[in-house]
Amino acid sequence: MHRLRPAHYLMIAPAQLMLAAVIVLPAISLLWLSLERYTYGRAPEFVGLANYLFILGDRAFWRASFNTFVVVNIVVYGELLLGLGLALLVAGWVPFRRLVVSALLAPYAITEVSAVVMWRYMLEPDIGMINYALMAIGLDQIDYGGDPVTALGVAAAMAIWMHTPFTFLILYAALLTVPVELVEAAKVDGAGAWQVFRHVKFRLIVPAILIALLFRYITAMRLFAEIWLLTEGGPARMTEVLAVYLYRQAFKYHEFGVAAATGFAMLVLSLAIAMPYLVQMYRRMVRDAV
Amino acid sequence: MTDIAPTRRQMVAGALGVLGATTARAPAIAQARATKLTIMSHAVHKAVATGAKGGDSTAAWRQRTGLDAEWITFSVEGVHERVYREASLADGNVDIAFLLERYGGPHIAALFEDLGEWQKRDPIEHFDEIGEGMKAAHTYRGRMIAIPYRHATHGFFFNRTFFGERGVSAAPRSLEEIAELAERLTYARSDGSRVNGYALSMDDPSAMVDLVRGFGGEFITPDYRVVCNEPGAVKAVALVRDWYRKGVLARNVMSFKTEEVITAMQQGRAAMTNQPFGRFVNYNDPKQSKFPGAIEVVTVPMAAAAGGAVGRPAPAKTSVWAMAIPRNARNKEQSWALIKELSSRESTIRAAVNGNGPVRPSAYDNPDVRQLAPWSDFEKAVLPSARLVLPGFENAAKAMDIYMEEVQRAMLGQTEPQQAMDAAKARIDPLLPKA
Repeated sequence: MHRLRPAHYLMIAPAQLMLAAVIVLPAISLLWLSLERYTYGRAPEFVGLANYLFILGDRAFWRASFNTFVVVNIVVYGELLLGLGLALLVAGWVPFRRLVVSALLAPYAITEVSAVVMWRYMLEPDIGMINYALMAIGLDQIDYGGDPVTALGVAAAMAIWMHTPFTFLILYAALLTVPVELVEAAKVDGAGAWQVFRHVKFRLIVPAILIALLFRYITAMRLFAEIWLLTEGGPARMTEVLAVYLYRQAFKYHEFGVAAATGFAMLVLSLAIAMPYLVQMYRRMVRDAV
Repeated sequence: MTDIAPTRRQMVAGALGVLGATTARAPAIAQARATKLTIMSHAVHKAVATGAKGGDSTAAWRQRTGLDAEWITFSVEGVHERVYREASLADGNVDIAFLLERYGGPHIAALFEDLGEWQKRDPIEHFDEIGEGMKAAHTYRGRMIAIPYRHATHGFFFNRTFFGERGVSAAPRSLEEIAELAERLTYARSDGSRVNGYALSMDDPSAMVDLVRGFGGEFITPDYRVVCNEPGAVKAVALVRDWYRKGVLARNVMSFKTEEVITAMQQGRAAMTNQPFGRFVNYNDPKQSKFPGAIEVVTVPMAAAAGGAVGRPAPAKTSVWAMAIPRNARNKEQSWALIKELSSRESTIRAAVNGNGPVRPSAYDNPDVRQLAPWSDFEKAVLPSARLVLPGFENAAKAMDIYMEEVQRAMLGQTEPQQAMDAAKARIDPLLPKA
């Protein structure tokens, strides 16, 4: 194995410096901010862990954490199931494949704000397309404005609708790389469709699944537009998620120290969720390298 | 074939050239900026200050000084967030900022010029005509940080067409009457469209406090006492809870902001509401409303049970937008000159014709204003008793959120109105300024 020489370090230095400038330094600055009381019109004041103690004692923070945990899991696993199902369908036999793939990717091309506003119109009480149809067939309307559980469900459904194309794309690409010979060999050995999927395809696309899960967990933790534009965290702040809690602290209450502490709590939570997947991927890399 | 792709050296030279040119232009850009004043506000301020109907109040000042006025507009919350951020910098780009009193407080006063001093030096004409209450709304510890420009005072709106369809002939003269009518006006019209008896914006307490005060209650007193758990205030919460249960309010009312209320009234999905008088124009605009000319406005009446003569106006909510000069503004003399221009009697009338709530009572006597603002008599009548949503203090935004959270918990049936308001008081008390 070649040893890295100073010239090598010099060559990778710009990339490392850029990473340090755009990720490490802001992170350190954020950490420092989370230890200060800082608002407009006042000089920053060092308060130690007071901001962290504040959020830990704030019931709105815990409710937001719980909502985030529930919604993120529904969204990530919902997208995984739907994305996998669609990928299997499209990788198998489907007419007008290119058209179908384009249609499946379309929601990903729509900006979040437009998508949420569109869904909101469709769910408008009495006159929204969805509620109107539900009423026409004698069912009750979807009451996202007065029922927090329904509101979180609608937000999760919107997030799944918007982001499933990402998971679909990763899994579809992975399925296309599964060697045909392996599938044919399994069939020759008498495996049915379910057994081929379970023992051949699934095992080969596990790394892709882990990557999709990891990416979506991290991005879903920042879930904001779906909730903010649908309910602004209401009614009674019962549909707030962590990103909305952070936004409220920063841009409504101008409590930047508390907002920074919330940001760090989100980072820790993301890492806690991502760690098992990262460990699993690292182990696979080491195993494959040996 | 000629290779036209640039070499790396050419790329670097080009980049340096662009950088050099940009740097060389920098002073020119800075100079260009000095030819205008930047005003940060809500879109409504630009509309009323420069509108076509009444005329452009900045025109004379622009002609006199050769400067231009650049308006940068945001949502209500957005204006304050950006203004405070800009005003906190060492060097600012904002010359005049429009502030709403409930987003202010003593903590931000240091970011702005004390305009009381400017007024002493170079007075605005007939300044004493502007109400003391309006000036006090933007005065903290003796520092007047902004000059009142617009008030948004609430009136009671109703759709005359719906009244006719439900056999109601006259505007209600008490809150009890409104409560009864709201149920009667919750119905399905002959074309199948459904009407909610009442629409209420619920993003902050500004609409709720009209009902609270109509029942003789209050949210937070000017001397910073939380009284939202006293009987009158609780009665208003109970009324709203009952309306929600009975379908008088829309199912998604808890996500209603001003925009949703406007749409509901314009589209005929709500029969009554309480909103600023100036919304009369939006509700009756043939281009936007399905009921042009059918939506009327009067004062929000007191509850008969709260005492006083029937039809007496409730001390409705008012809010005061005012013009401030950030401490870090670069051209304060001209900022003050423009504020003086916008605050003159003539400009006040012009803006009122453009739909502004005039801060000078004399504007209501102008024939043009009276013709274009048929609500002016009602507005003038309620102004002496109108009150701010709450007095300004550092944690006002949190206090308003807590209040609305507890009101909504009562509406959802998670708690009784009295318990909800007791909880609101207990949570808001520690946020108030210490004596």
